[in-house]
Amino acid sequence: MDFSLNQEQEMFRGYVRKYLDSVGQTKTAREYIKGDRESLQSLQTGLAELGCCSINISENYGGMGLGALDLVPVLEETGRALLPGLYLETNALAVPLLEKFGTEEQKEKYLPNISNGTSFFSIAWLEPGGSYHPAGITFTAEIEKDQLNLNGVKTLVPDAELADHFIVLVRTSNGKDKDGISLLIIDRSEANLTMRAQKNMDETRQLAQLTCTNTEISMTQILGPLHQGWDALQEGLLSFNAALCAVIVGAMEKVVEMATEYAKIREQFGQPIGRFQAIKHRIVDMKMDLETARSLAYYANWALDSDAEDCIQAISCARLFATEAFARISDHNIQIHGGIGFTEEMDCHLYVKRARFYENYLGTTEQYYNQAAAALGWLDNKASKVLV
Amino acid sequence: MDFSFTPKEEEFRQELRTWLEENLPEGWIGGTREVYKDEYEKAAFLRSWQRKLYAGGWAAIAWPKKYGGREATLMEEIVYQQEMVKVKAPALVNYVGIHMVGPTLMQIGTEEQKLRYIEKILSGEEVWCQGYSEPNAGSDLSAVQTSAVKDGDRWIINGQKVWTSFGHVADRCFLIARTNHFEKKHKGITVFLLDMDQPGVETKPIIQMDGQHDFNEVYLNNAVAYDTEIVGEVDEGWRVMMALLMFERSGIGGQVFTLEQQFNELVAMTKDLKEDNEPLLDNPLIRKTMIDLYTRSRGSLLNYYRNLTKTLKNGRPGAEGSMDKLMVSELTKELLSKSISIQGHQGVLWKEDAISSNSYWQDNFLYSFGQTIGGGTSEIQKNTIAERILGLPKDMGR
Ligand SMILES: Cc1cc2nc3c(=O)[nH]c(=O)nc-3n(C[C@H](O)[C@H](O)[C@H](O)COP(=O)(O)OP(=O)(O)OC[C@H]3O[C@@H](n4cnc5c(N)ncnc54)[C@H](O)[C@@H]3O)c2cc1C
Repeated sequence: MDFSLNQEQEMFRGYVRKYLDSVGQTKTAREYIKGDRESLQSLQTGLAELGCCSINISENYGGMGLGALDLVPVLEETGRALLPGLYLETNALAVPLLEKFGTEEQKEKYLPNISNGTSFFSIAWLEPGGSYHPAGITFTAEIEKDQLNLNGVKTLVPDAELADHFIVLVRTSNGKDKDGISLLIIDRSEANLTMRAQKNMDETRQLAQLTCTNTEISMTQILGPLHQGWDALQEGLLSFNAALCAVIVGAMEKVVEMATEYAKIREQFGQPIGRFQAIKHRIVDMKMDLETARSLAYYANWALDSDAEDCIQAISCARLFATEAFARISDHNIQIHGGIGFTEEMDCHLYVKRARFYENYLGTTEQYYNQAAAALGWLDNKASKVLV
Repeated sequence: MDFSFTPKEEEFRQELRTWLEENLPEGWIGGTREVYKDEYEKAAFLRSWQRKLYAGGWAAIAWPKKYGGREATLMEEIVYQQEMVKVKAPALVNYVGIHMVGPTLMQIGTEEQKLRYIEKILSGEEVWCQGYSEPNAGSDLSAVQTSAVKDGDRWIINGQKVWTSFGHVADRCFLIARTNHFEKKHKGITVFLLDMDQPGVETKPIIQMDGQHDFNEVYLNNAVAYDTEIVGEVDEGWRVMMALLMFERSGIGGQVFTLEQQFNELVAMTKDLKEDNEPLLDNPLIRKTMIDLYTRSRGSLLNYYRNLTKTLKNGRPGAEGSMDKLMVSELTKELLSKSISIQGHQGVLWKEDAISSNSYWQDNFLYSFGQTIGGGTSEIQKNTIAERILGLPKDMGR
């Protein structure tokens, strides 16, 4: 029995923490909000130099060939700093999809650049109407010999302006439900896309609406099985969700620290507010949420790496718990800070907003409940209800 | 990261499992055994069970070999708890003796005390109870008022204890009493190994909300203890009490595994019970509740394993035990509360009229209220976590 990250993993965390401390933790996110893109650029270069972008890429393509658990400490640190950008989407969704489903050409074309930190992927899934269900995919990719003709609109595409590639869910045939859905990689430089920025409550992440009108791209850009991209996507989402939990744990840890520190120094009625049990016990509740989220997240990543029997329910339940607990404790954090917690100046609200961004990100809470229920064998014949 | 047990640990598990199968009463493992007539019959049965454990070498596995233990590793203790929970083994009637008094005496007892008491704790010949709580001293044990006054080589003890589990069957009591008054209330407390079988000790049953009688009031009216029955130094009992807490290495494990088992039984119940011919589990609201409970009970088990890893690495348990106790007891209460709710109005049917599992859910639901109180209330656990783990300021008055 050994339920802990190993020494190398913790050491790596140490390097990343030190580096993010040196650039001021959430300072980069705040500069990004103000429109400054340069500090994020240089931070991403810094992280790539540390090796963060190559951890889970196979050695053939310039990576370290490590697993999901090795990514965990880095993800936690990015969550703590509320890092803007597409590290999570690139390394925990695009990379697993490419590694598992990519053709040799695709792997050679994309993985080395991800590994050296010069390429980032976004994901274009939702369409106006906002449904993550297969029926929500109406964006068409008509097959014309070896070309695809794209028509449709995607919304809430995360950090589109930072991405040089998009993984797009498209309809390649008029199949029912998930049949006929394919995954496509669009290279921004090679396709004619119209983008319109959408305002995000979490201003540390940019969103955009992306429109294609008779955009032509090569058939070779299909990722994974033609018409059967939905199932491939589910595999990628397992990695993504396990990783998302780690990001959230890092953010939650910072929230608990903020609340604890403030409760020690803020005095009212002649004593630190941390002596009042209404405050003290609430912080303990937050700490319990944090540690439970952490245990579930670490286990989910272990289950993924070791292909455990309970892998799917471990991941969906970890996600359910983490997203809900993150929202809950970052709300409490504002209350514990009182008036100053309500200000723009304090970081408290940044965590509230990020928590909301993740709540229904790449699948709704309800869908993950259904996924967990199906994995536990509680939906029997109702498997068709399982959407994600 | 590794969740497996070593072959040696699995061998240990198999050995215990075989022994349990051979030694538990007929029908125990299948759950068809009869319930006891009253608490005295129950106590007699539990004593005989402990004698069996002793004979088989399974009564106190963590104890040193020279005291009749097996020097089991921490992981073997975990395996032990898992297996005991799996077969719903009878309670250890001498829990206080084995987990508290024995280890304390081994560490700070005199040679005479070790010789006099330890063997009998293990065999169950002498059952112990714990005399800490009083009407005016519960969470705040430094407020104990029971007094012990020196009289030659004897001490005359007067006062009252309460909530004394097993007091009605115990032969001896690990008792705290005030022997002196200092400004610091923690000082001046002494630990006695009191003989329960004497005219100055009177035990009165307290019936619990679940209808059972496990704990008691104990009246001390010129009860007598001797110098030789003091553990550690006079007036320095607080240290002994604290030392004792450290002996419970494997901590709350038993309850963690019980929670896991109760969750699995709840799933079975929601598949068995039907409303309008549909299993309860097919109701989306109930299913959501069940996934919440699954998630958090997995979480508490995994938290426990993570803390266990820390204990294994540090060689001793830390304050994280409070987190396990808090989470497991609160979650157990919540799970059992839900187990009643989802039975609908029929959930109020009790005892032989209960609609599921012989009142298992109703009885455990009622029993669960004690779990967030006994062994330190949830509020006290939160204080401990806040102060010892998060470094928040101490409560007023301390
Ligand atoms: C099933 C069971 C078995 C037990 N067995 C034994 C036994 O064998 N031997 C023995 O000595 N005792 C035993 N006890 C007693 C147990 O240890 C006490 O009940 C417990 O410590 C609480 O003390 P109390 O009942 O006096 O409650 P109180 O201390 O009066 O508490 C009442 C309420 O006030 C809260 N409170 C108290 N202090 C604080 C604080 N500082 N901050 C916030 N809230 C506070 C408590 O959390 C609780 O909600 C047992 C209890 C139970 C339920």
